[in-house]
Amino acid sequence: MANYFNTLPLREQLNQLGEAEFMDSAEFSDGVNALKGKKIVIVGCGAQGLNQGLNLRDSGLDVSYALRKEAIEQKRDSWKNATDNNFAVGTYEELIPTADLVINLTPDKQHTSVINAVQPLMKQGAALSYSHGFNIVEEGMQIRKDITVIMVAPKCPGSEVRAEYLRGFGVPTLIAVHPENDPEGKGWPYAKAYCVGTGGHRAGVLKSSFVAEVKSDLMGEQTILCGLLQTGSILSFDKMVEKGIDAGYASKLVQYGVEVITEALKHGGVSGMLDRLSNPAKIKAFQVSEELKDIMRPLFQKHQDDIMSGEFSKTMMEDWANGDANLLKWRAETGETAFEKTPAGDVKISEQEYFDNYLLMVAFVRAGVELAFETMVEAGIKPESAYYESLHETPLIANTIARKKLFEMNRVISDTAEYGCYLFDQACKPLLTDFMKKVDTDLVGKNFNEGKDGSVDNVQLVQVNEILRNHPVEIVGVKLRQAMTAMKAIKTV
Amino acid sequence: MKQPLVQIVQLNLQYADQVVLSDFNWTIYAGENWVIGGKSGTGKTSLAKTIAEDKHPAHVYYVSNWYQFTNLEGDRNFYYQQRYNKFQTNDTLTVYADLLHFGQKHGLDFADAEPILEALGFQNCKDTQLIELSSGEHKKLQLVQGLWLRPKLLIIDEPFTGLDQQSRVNLLDIFDKIAEMGTSLILVTNEENLPTCINRFAEIENGKLRVVEHPADFSKDARRNKKPIPYFLQQAPSFTNTSVVELRNVSVRYGDKVVLKNVNWKINAREKWLLQGPNGSGKSTLLSLLNGDHPQAYNADVWLFGAKRGSGESIWDIKEKVGIISPEMHWYFDQNATVWHTIASGFYDSIGWFLEVKYEEKKRIEQLLDFFDLLPYKNQLLRTLPLGKQRLALLARTIIKNPPLLILDEPCQGLDVAQTNHFNAVVDELCANGNTLIYVGHYESQIPSCIEHRLLLEKGEVVEEVTI
Repeated sequence: MANYFNTLPLREQLNQLGEAEFMDSAEFSDGVNALKGKKIVIVGCGAQGLNQGLNLRDSGLDVSYALRKEAIEQKRDSWKNATDNNFAVGTYEELIPTADLVINLTPDKQHTSVINAVQPLMKQGAALSYSHGFNIVEEGMQIRKDITVIMVAPKCPGSEVRAEYLRGFGVPTLIAVHPENDPEGKGWPYAKAYCVGTGGHRAGVLKSSFVAEVKSDLMGEQTILCGLLQTGSILSFDKMVEKGIDAGYASKLVQYGVEVITEALKHGGVSGMLDRLSNPAKIKAFQVSEELKDIMRPLFQKHQDDIMSGEFSKTMMEDWANGDANLLKWRAETGETAFEKTPAGDVKISEQEYFDNYLLMVAFVRAGVELAFETMVEAGIKPESAYYESLHETPLIANTIARKKLFEMNRVISDTAEYGCYLFDQACKPLLTDFMKKVDTDLVGKNFNEGKDGSVDNVQLVQVNEILRNHPVEIVGVKLRQAMTAMKAIKTV
Repeated sequence: MKQPLVQIVQLNLQYADQVVLSDFNWTIYAGENWVIGGKSGTGKTSLAKTIAEDKHPAHVYYVSNWYQFTNLEGDRNFYYQQRYNKFQTNDTLTVYADLLHFGQKHGLDFADAEPILEALGFQNCKDTQLIELSSGEHKKLQLVQGLWLRPKLLIIDEPFTGLDQQSRVNLLDIFDKIAEMGTSLILVTNEENLPTCINRFAEIENGKLRVVEHPADFSKDARRNKKPIPYFLQQAPSFTNTSVVELRNVSVRYGDKVVLKNVNWKINAREKWLLQGPNGSGKSTLLSLLNGDHPQAYNADVWLFGAKRGSGESIWDIKEKVGIISPEMHWYFDQNATVWHTIASGFYDSIGWFLEVKYEEKKRIEQLLDFFDLLPYKNQLLRTLPLGKQRLALLARTIIKNPPLLILDEPCQGLDVAQTNHFNAVVDELCANGNTLIYVGHYESQIPSCIEHRLLLEKGEVVEEVTI
């Protein structure tokens, strides 16, 4: 199979990359009608599969689950998830031929084998949905021409998709129709109805394309979301220990700090996050993050270039073919870092202390979010797509770190994200060696404001605020966040 | 000279800009067993928490009115329907594991917990996961821990809330026993039926302790002037079908555990039902089938408003016709909602407010705020108000759309006698206009007078169905 994106002429590449339209709620006035009475069969019953299915059924749709024979016979978790919630469960052979819409919610890596098994069983003119376009765009999977191919991708973990729906709300969602597979023109009505069925239409929907979703998703997860949070966390912990800060305190500050800091990012964007610092600390964080941006920019660009050219997916698929040799090795290494092995100390850290004593992470997050966003937009991805794949998802990943540190974060995210995260982390650490030599405990471990009188230069502060607030990620962020003001705080601390 | 258990000298306590305790003095001696009562919002809970703060649990232990457990990953971001959705991973501890953990932490012998579990009718819950417990069962778990620990001073906030009658009788007995064995008690409550060991009474007045002779001397909240019910609630709700609820031979089980067994129940439009049963008898599960909250309704013979569940309706179609309140919904309600937003969300059945409210709806919100005397609090966060006021706001949310079916699951939990009577009078008046009612309440003295039918559940089975 050839990389789909690379088969397109440049104008079509640009056209699909640039597809991003924030949809008006009036576009969803038809509700779930396009899917009413249609038979929906979900393949896979993990967190996304189960929770989306529960929502779709609660929206009045007909949902059942197709699982592999072994999963049913051995009563695996996916089988239990579906049957405990009173869904009809059957094998591919039993259920797929009856389906009007097949929703593929298996892990990325299984897509090729799942589609190869499912496609021949699908009836003429049925529809197939993905929540991630890797299989179509990077692996170049060809779907039968009579089948409609759509994407509905909620930008939150499955448990949140369910929780927000039952609260009467939803999570931001990205929808797309594959231009090569829309023979009857029913792609958009189906995608919209499916989105309404999960509650997504209440929290902001981005009309996108398979190409834009994949190229931005890969970029976000490798750089700011997983890669930089991992690099920044490990470097911060090691620095604190090196400088004599209590290891238990350092472990707690790093584990939970990233969640507390990005919670401010979620509500108020990059400038809202920096507003949590005192004026002198804000100026310092600004300067540090400017320096970080200059150091890391070439690495961000390299990741984007490799994603666009298909080099990244090619290398990763080679590792898949090699039994995940690199992935497993790197995963084991992550489990062995000093940060991972040091339990969070039994110390109280107040919410504000996480900002004041962890200025370095504020700088890392600003640098990472802005760089990822800028690099994506320079590559032809629209600001709306770039926002969701950078700033929006950062707090969600931070939450997984707060739960059980980095090893757990890497376990929860997809194998694709994990692979890219390790690539970034390995390249980023050496780049930051000189920078980290200069870092002392005023940036990480101790209160930056200690011993300072709090005064700043008016002109300098105004300039810093303007640069922060006028960044394009802030402009688009204000618009998109309006649609999700009611998002509940995720809190572990 | 007698050694005091706890001595508080010149304590000052502020909450935001509000003074709760000022120059507060109190000495508690061994052998004393106190009840702290009086008006709502005087700082009883703040005081109770402060006494226990930084004390060794074997010396002073505080049992809160509601304890928010976490799941195994430290997350407490739950939603109230979560216990009906099953997911293999991401589980909470079982009751047994939670108790074992508590026992290890405090060096207790599990054999000492067994009689308490039995007295509170809780021994069957050992394998139940924390997320699956009802509010009454959560209360029991917290009580079991405190009673098992037997500290020198045990402080319990609203010990009787949500308990069934038998458990309550047994609890009074346990209180007397542990008092005899040397534990002093502080119970924060306005209940009149108290353990015999109680020998001291006090309330908080203007931030200071006021000792009284008898609970009858507690200050009462000002009598409420009954206002006329808003006009929009005097209208008869419309029914499209005479059958509102019909359950035919409905069972619900989780694995081997049977929660409901062969339940038959038919409710016609405008009927008024009382649903009763001990904690854990399946009441909440039964009600969740009627509100679109339980996934097992899809495979059962459940008919709502004339349509079979799973025949193409959405849960929002059902919720539109139902006004519901339950202790669980209260505890899991949106932490960031103001009183106004809480009531507004009743129009859209959301937990918290997300949609634009229309002009006519805004007018109704104002009328109900006024009716429940909540106007001065309308912009305050719900969670910052005393429990009784929070309840009133949620009750306003429940009735604001004048729904054909009202499901009031222990609606008066946390309300005092006057507030309870007031609210039940409202229910009577509303229902006289034609709403169908399902009411859950453990105590006969606390139910509205319009009730005509009673369904009694025990261990998931209907054991009695009578017309009153």
